Amino acid sequence: MLEATSLTRVFGDKRVVDAVSFRVEPGRITGFVGANGAGKTTTMRMLMGVLAPTSGTVSWDGEPITVERRRTFGYMPEERGLYPRMKVGEQLVYFARLHGMSTYDAGKRTASLLEHFGLTDRADDLLDDLSLGNQQRVQIAAALIHRLTALVLDEPFSGLDPLAVDSMTDLLRNEAADLPLLFSSHQLDLVERLCDDLIVLSAGRVVASGAVEELRERGSEQYRVVLDGEDAAWLRDLDGVEVSDVDGSTALLSLTGLPPADLTAAVVAKSRVLEVARVRQPLSEIFREVTS
Amino acid sequence: MTNPTTTRGLWQVVARREMATALRSKSFLISGAVLVVAIVAMIVVSGFLNGRPHDDTVAVVDGTGQRAVEAASGIADRLQEDTTVTADRVADRGAAERAVRSGDADAALLPTRDGYEVVGDDDVDSTLAQALQSAVPATVLSANAADQDVDLAKLQAGTQTTQRLLDAGPEDEGVRTAASYVFVVLFFVTAIGFGMQIATSVTQEKESRVVEILAAAVPIRALLWGKVLGWSVLALAQVVVLGVAATIALVATGQTGALGPIAPALGWYVVFFVLGFVALSSLWAAAGSLASRQQDLQSTTAPAQMLLFVPYIVAFVAGEGVKTVVSMLPIASTMLMPGRLAEGSVPLWQLLVALALTVLAAVLLIRVGARIYERSLLRTGGKLGFGEALRLSDEREPATR
Repeated sequence: MLEATSLTRVFGDKRVVDAVSFRVEPGRITGFVGANGAGKTTTMRMLMGVLAPTSGTVSWDGEPITVERRRTFGYMPEERGLYPRMKVGEQLVYFARLHGMSTYDAGKRTASLLEHFGLTDRADDLLDDLSLGNQQRVQIAAALIHRLTALVLDEPFSGLDPLAVDSMTDLLRNEAADLPLLFSSHQLDLVERLCDDLIVLSAGRVVASGAVEELRERGSEQYRVVLDGEDAAWLRDLDGVEVSDVDGSTALLSLTGLPPADLTAAVVAKSRVLEVARVRQPLSEIFREVTS
Repeated sequence: MTNPTTTRGLWQVVARREMATALRSKSFLISGAVLVVAIVAMIVVSGFLNGRPHDDTVAVVDGTGQRAVEAASGIADRLQEDTTVTADRVADRGAAERAVRSGDADAALLPTRDGYEVVGDDDVDSTLAQALQSAVPATVLSANAADQDVDLAKLQAGTQTTQRLLDAGPEDEGVRTAASYVFVVLFFVTAIGFGMQIATSVTQEKESRVVEILAAAVPIRALLWGKVLGWSVLALAQVVVLGVAATIALVATGQTGALGPIAPALGWYVVFFVLGFVALSSLWAAAGSLASRQQDLQSTTAPAQMLLFVPYIVAFVAGEGVKTVVSMLPIASTMLMPGRLAEGSVPLWQLLVALALTVLAAVLLIRVGARIYERSLLRTGGKLGFGEALRLSDEREPATR
């Protein structure tokens, strides 16, 4: 388990990261979200040890983290970077070797990752000669090249087309099935689809964190009612209900006293009904609520 | 969970990549080849100029002239190796002058009323002229002596003048001086060339941002050592290749005589070269880490360039005393000491002082260089100064965003 405790980073007189604490559990995909400048990248760089915290600690399984431990993490920095004039295959073998793999293992691992991304026939091309999307794939491969114990990925999906995103998520689920995985992203729909846990950062502070399900339940529950052609405005008169929006025969409401199990019966008693459904609050709304 | 791997030996992985990248780079191979060609060409040309068998033809019209030319051949060979002079007997003065004009003869030796004249077209080779001017009196004198029944040997007794030097220079002085300048230029060119390569390769990693991944994977010192040692091996290899090429060229052009006097200096050159290069290398790496873009390198590498430029100038313009002192200073010793060894003997204590100071400087420079490198490598956005980098706090400082 990877854990940050009161991580703080000050640049000049600016507290970019302010007493940030969270855990990344093994086998759980943890999403790291927040607006631009919220401190995500700075926090991830402190996790990886390429930036020293002003105060606070990073620990692994309860012990202060070591250089050797960090070297086994897969890391994808926000600022992408590989050797532009080096062959793709050689480059991946080099990174594997830097992580202490034998030449033979490094070659095998490189071949299998290139195959996964459909880049086997580009192994001898210079990185520069690849399309941006393919360069991004190589970057991901570089982060996954060695025997991983955790993954820290800064915006791993930016710049990928939907197909590549799918291929990438498959790979992550396979490779990091029982590892702690932290990734940051702006694409909330993607975070919603992928993540088990969520950490929301705003202005350098954690404003919400926990399992995605729990976070959802903390928000107010809403229901959507669709009548059979009839105007739904009458629902405003129903007891124990507060209607937030009516659009023709569709209404959006929350319950202010009526038990959820009684809602359907109460509506059916007065109208012909096409749909009564609980609306899951989209992550974007949770995000807006906690960061506003 | 897998065991975290050790960081030992990682510098070798880094060094191997640096070397492989260099050996595959066209510009690297071309610049190396240019140096080899330049040195070999220099040796071949000088061998051609010095060692070329030289045959001069002199037109003559009488028997005394012919005998004088034959005597001159022996004298000319003593003045300049492999020189022969051949007489060409022609009918009369007119034919002799025509031969000189047309280039069939290099000169003509013609009788005048009170002796002989050496006739050339627009110039007479100085060796040839000197040989003829000594040969003519000797030949005519011995003929006259025979005519008058005089014992020439008795007549000449006591006239011989020889020369003795109180402070004789070593033999092959030309070769030794040339070698000492080659040592200076070669280290200067190699140290600047390879130093800039180290700095550039560091800056490229910063520019392409790959350094962030490297720093997460490898201790920064392993990166530094890999670079320094990889490029040092390449630089030394280049010197060895040049040495072998030069030796082959000397042997091929029959100038093996030059090898003997400079061999011990060559051995010391390798020792001083390795120390001098390694001492500077971390400074080059630090210069690379201070730059954010390649354009910054011009100014961040200035201190390292000055450390090479000053002794370079001293080697060419300074007098004996200044050279002796400077040749014991670090870095400068690599350029000057092997040259002094080639030119003559150097007291052992001076060699030892030079070695000790170089080792000391290497240790100091490497510490300072490593400190700068570690603190500025992960800083992007703008160029840093050496002082500024040394004052940075002891942590990995990043891009402020």
